[in-house]
Amino acid sequence: MADYKLVGKNFTPPDMVAKVTGAAKYSEDFRAEGMLHAKLLLSPMPHGRVRNIDTSAALKMKGVVAIITPDDVPQFPPPVDPILYREPNFAGAPILAVAAESEEIAAAAIEAIKVDIEQLKHVVDPLDSLFPGGINAFTGGNVANVRLPLQTIKWTAKDFQGFDQGKMPMGKPAEQWAYGDLEAGFKKAKVIIERSFLTAGTSHHSMEPRSAMAYWQNGKVYLHGSLQSQSFAVPNVARLCGVKPQDVVFIAEFCGGGFGSKGNPYPVMAIPAHLSKKANGRPVMMRISREEEYLVGSGRAGFQGWAKIGFAENGRITAMDIFVVQDNGPNMGFWDFRNCGHTAQLLYQPEAMRWRGTAVLTNTPPRGPQRGPGENQTSMAFEPLIDEGARQLGIDRLAVRRINAPDNDGFEGHDAKGKLTSAFLKDALAKGGELFKWEEKKQLSGKRNGSKVIGVGIGTAFHAGGSNGFDGIVRILPDGKLYIHSGAGNLGTYSYAATSRVAAEVLGYDWNNVVIVRGRTDRHLPWMIGQFGSNTAYTASRANYVAAVDAKNKLLEIASKQLGGAPGDYDLKNEKVVHKTDASKSMSFADAAKKAIELGGKFSGKELPADINPLTKASATALAGSGLVGVAKDKLPKRGLVPALVAGFCMIELDTETGEFEIKDYLGVADCGTVLHPLGLQTQMHGGAMMGFGLATTERIVYDHALGLPANVQFDQSKPPTYLDMPTSFHWSAAEKPDRDNPVGVKGVGEPIEGAAAAALLNAISDALGGHYFHRTPVVRDMIVNALAKRPQSYRALQANTM
Amino acid sequence: MSDDCRTSQQYCDAHQHDDHQSGIGGPLAEIVRAKASRRTFIKGVIASGATLGATGYLFRTGEAQARTVGTVERLVSLKVNGQVRRVDVLPHETLANTLRYKLGLTGTKLSCDRGECGACTVMVGDTAIYSCTTLTHSVADKEITTVEGVAKNGQLHAVQKAFIEEIGPQCGFCTPGQVMSAVALLKANPHPTIEEARRAMSGNLCRCGSYEQYLAGVMRAAKGG
Amino acid sequence: MMIKDVIPGFELYKPKTVADAVALLDQHKKDAWKLAGGNDSLSWFKDRIKRPKVVVDLSGIAEMKGVKQTADGIEIGALTTLSEIENNPVVKKSYRLLADAAGKVASPQIRNNGTIGGNVSQDARCWYYRSGLPCYRAGGNTCFADTPEGQNREHALFDANRCVAVSQSDMAPTMIALDAKMVVRSAKGERVVAAEEYFIGPRIDITHMTQLQPEDLLVAIRIPKGWAGARFYFEKVTDRRSWDFPLVNVAAALKTDAGGVVQEARVAVGGVSCTPRRITVAEEAVKGKKVDQELAQLAGQTSTRGARPLNYNHFKIPLMANLVMRSVRDAKA
Repeated sequence: MADYKLVGKNFTPPDMVAKVTGAAKYSEDFRAEGMLHAKLLLSPMPHGRVRNIDTSAALKMKGVVAIITPDDVPQFPPPVDPILYREPNFAGAPILAVAAESEEIAAAAIEAIKVDIEQLKHVVDPLDSLFPGGINAFTGGNVANVRLPLQTIKWTAKDFQGFDQGKMPMGKPAEQWAYGDLEAGFKKAKVIIERSFLTAGTSHHSMEPRSAMAYWQNGKVYLHGSLQSQSFAVPNVARLCGVKPQDVVFIAEFCGGGFGSKGNPYPVMAIPAHLSKKANGRPVMMRISREEEYLVGSGRAGFQGWAKIGFAENGRITAMDIFVVQDNGPNMGFWDFRNCGHTAQLLYQPEAMRWRGTAVLTNTPPRGPQRGPGENQTSMAFEPLIDEGARQLGIDRLAVRRINAPDNDGFEGHDAKGKLTSAFLKDALAKGGELFKWEEKKQLSGKRNGSKVIGVGIGTAFHAGGSNGFDGIVRILPDGKLYIHSGAGNLGTYSYAATSRVAAEVLGYDWNNVVIVRGRTDRHLPWMIGQFGSNTAYTASRANYVAAVDAKNKLLEIASKQLGGAPGDYDLKNEKVVHKTDASKSMSFADAAKKAIELGGKFSGKELPADINPLTKASATALAGSGLVGVAKDKLPKRGLVPALVAGFCMIELDTETGEFEIKDYLGVADCGTVLHPLGLQTQMHGGAMMGFGLATTERIVYDHALGLPANVQFDQSKPPTYLDMPTSFHWSAAEKPDRDNPVGVKGVGEPIEGAAAAALLNAISDALGGHYFHRTPVVRDMIVNALAKRPQSYRALQANTM
Repeated sequence: MSDDCRTSQQYCDAHQHDDHQSGIGGPLAEIVRAKASRRTFIKGVIASGATLGATGYLFRTGEAQARTVGTVERLVSLKVNGQVRRVDVLPHETLANTLRYKLGLTGTKLSCDRGECGACTVMVGDTAIYSCTTLTHSVADKEITTVEGVAKNGQLHAVQKAFIEEIGPQCGFCTPGQVMSAVALLKANPHPTIEEARRAMSGNLCRCGSYEQYLAGVMRAAKGG
Repeated sequence: MMIKDVIPGFELYKPKTVADAVALLDQHKKDAWKLAGGNDSLSWFKDRIKRPKVVVDLSGIAEMKGVKQTADGIEIGALTTLSEIENNPVVKKSYRLLADAAGKVASPQIRNNGTIGGNVSQDARCWYYRSGLPCYRAGGNTCFADTPEGQNREHALFDANRCVAVSQSDMAPTMIALDAKMVVRSAKGERVVAAEEYFIGPRIDITHMTQLQPEDLLVAIRIPKGWAGARFYFEKVTDRRSWDFPLVNVAAALKTDAGGVVQEARVAVGGVSCTPRRITVAEEAVKGKKVDQELAQLAGQTSTRGARPLNYNHFKIPLMANLVMRSVRDAKA
């Protein structure tokens, strides 16, 4: 399909008017007759065991309708995040919930409930927990993650030797892998950079707190929730609500941001459902406050780690040894620590490599995937090391990245034998270097203007950018329109719409005659992966493509049945099926749809492919007989990992008297294959970069270690970037080289945009400071001021969750 | 519900007690009684906090206030988006909550509810303020404009059109607040420089980071759309 | 923690005159809370930490709004919004320091209904105190910030006395720099207080940032004409460029002769102690001299003498030194 009419062109996504007029409804906007209001009782202490709950005073209060405790909700085996906590393991863990006629009554009821909590010891720093005799954040252990069973790991005194010199303690890891000859690799290195580093956890702080509204009707639970995903959500929503998937109607037409924290259904969203059940199905609105969103809305894992990198004379990385400890929060967490190794491998393609990692529980907010989970921390920690290596070798910082960047022959995986579907990071770096005028700008490095000094930096980042094996459903109805059933959620990337354009492209539809069906699971949507992991552009475009191809084949077959000849004699043109040589033989799509209904069987969805997902099957079955139904599972080839890659270029001016800096110029260049939706990509390239600037320099999770209480919960303390923190000159570009394993050459890209910007900014700051590296993020004002004044920093090296 | 508000616990604002009096006969009596019972119905509804076709109120009804200088009348006529809306407003009720839970205007969002993000921005007169840190009673006599009142006669405001063209919104949650700040800016300063525009918008947070696109939208709207 | 959301009920009064307001405050005393713009107050209420029985909404009192020229200078009603001050022609012409500072407070929406009275009288921002912990300032008998591991990057360098919270108002240092007088009314009458006395530290009253008693109402701020048209400097250093309170800020006013020799100077720094801190050593250092880089640097360096850093705030020492240096070096008419 060369010469696209829709792919690569700008368009107005259908939900924009609703957004600018306030008509778009998010979970907390829904109202229902008799709606109750829910409030949560949060643990005041960082670790405890609930001994007794006395709700008698609350139940007597006028207007209190239902109370649920951990006994009223499904239980999951630790370390899975509970819905309500019997052993609250972070300050703010919800212990119970009250539904009442008004928020004020619910709040008063919470205060009237007596909860007897036995206080247990808490720990806020992962290394403290690994230290011999250290505290476990949970009674069952101090190490856990997905596919890493809850266990206790304690290191030895020897492992902590040199900790007071800032050396990363490195005891027995929970997991490791390696390939190549590490020793030989370091032997042939001209320069070796060896550093300990720390990256702070950060809160997702999506603009929309995860309020939810639920009610029951005829045995089904209707849940208005805030979620990045749509059809993917159903099994887990069902599990959390304690029902079967077919008894769930999940409504999420809009999602006010998730950044990974709302990719999958999360426990707190089920609370109104359980309250509603106890209240005879009455609708229950659970409004989540900003503070609660910080506490239960998840955060990024922190890293404490060490890396040793060997560079050959030309800058090529001959060996890389990585050790990382992840601050996992109190529960299951996410596998950021594993992604650390994968990222370093992907970005730098080391000839030999070892990765060792551990995920440690702490009594801090639960962690989950946040935009580039593990990948972006790795860019922030490692890109300065690449700069250091280049500086010591005396080679250009752009050149050192170009030489190590993956290309189409790049590898991935623990055995370094996995393939990539495409990789054009070298091209992105080259293009960026030109557009940013790197050669010129790097001459400005260190240039003074009064008290201000210029610094320039480059950053690169990676995330897997695509999955496969999901389903698409499209229908052509007797009205002649194309109805694309999108199982994708609407988190603000417009990928649900951009990927739908691929189906319309296949069928040659005028975009004005296309309707996207989405937003509620009772609209009969296909099984689609969740909107996380930068995958949607790749994954959903493939699924929509195969469903459209299925519809196309059916159109051609119907025409040949109706008008004679073989399907191959026909083509699609202007929403008609026309004979290639005999113009008199043509049939409108509308008529073909009518004919499909008449024919039944596969044409109208009465017969379905055997390999589609049960949820797709249920949806297609409900739609059967309504028109011409195209439905298929994506079985297109995919040779390996789909890498989304970004290079960032940054120039700042830093005031040496105050430590404040301005980002004068920022350019991000994406390797995301074919650009599916230019303005859509633009929003990500700018938005993700802004997030990256915050990740690098202002945002972090901070706790009082003695009290186990969070210091910076609200926006004024957690400090997401503002309009006045923007770059003065802010641009983006793309390599625009198509991926080899996607029908339109597209890859996802949302996450590495942030990591590249964060790393580029960090490197620009270090450059402005004459090559001073912090090895700790965020690089906050105090750190810059202390560095400028040549004073020691306040924090203890490698201490986590502190100022 | 009592037929005579003098026996009710609720604070009754000034009105004629006359028509509550029994003893008037004939057709006039019917009219008087009908008027009385309708008024007490309204008062009783407010008193008991029952739904008025929308949804349950956020707050439990308060106690009667002693008559002192400066006491507030619970029932106010709010001028919102060019319409007068009669609404029972509790003393501690924020403008954001009145809009969202009593007037069906959910366009104005609660994101931080602490004056630190701007999602709740509305215009009071021509001035943009945070409706979450404003008591409704503090602005009860002012003209309030929310995002729902910006488009006129089915026509989107230049700002709204421009935000669509530039794809300003991503997740859309901050968008109503951004629209209001932009509308307020262009009302006061129809041709801002980009720095003026940036500064005027700087009380609106966008976690998706869409600042560049929103700014492009503001400048586009300033140019005439 | 339990629950920190939803405002508990209170009685609300909206007096239209100062006399009525003062009468209400006298009647309710400790039960009454003065509400100006609401930007600070409502957060306390929503967090359910401060629960006044009575709230007196001052926003309807016309006589407390506006900038007036008087024989002795200007008088600014305490309810004048920060936006008004930023844009007021008289202020911009002669007392630009106020406009510079007002324009940097928080965000536009907050400046639009936030008032100068509210801003200078604002409560401490220490996160321990703000989270409702029972510290000295909250009426308890301990300080959580000044502990071996206390997370205290924004806290005090000077004059700590059990409490280490700081004044983070942007207008407060300008009051010191301009010799402002605070006009306070109560049922007992009116008193005029020098700005330096208005702000109090823990030594005087650990639970209050200003000398305002429950019955007191700050009605106006008088700026004497002595500093009109001087060279001014205001700067605040923050983490982000919008919303953020100052890590350290500085306000300076310098009167110079035609040759640029300093006749008189005022320098005040915020964010380093519980009250805006007057930097007499810098004022004395520049008096009678023309300020050059060397002199400015000396003024800055000596200004930090006596600083007692805590765990995480010692960066404020070089930062304060640099801000004081800039304030005397870069002050402009």
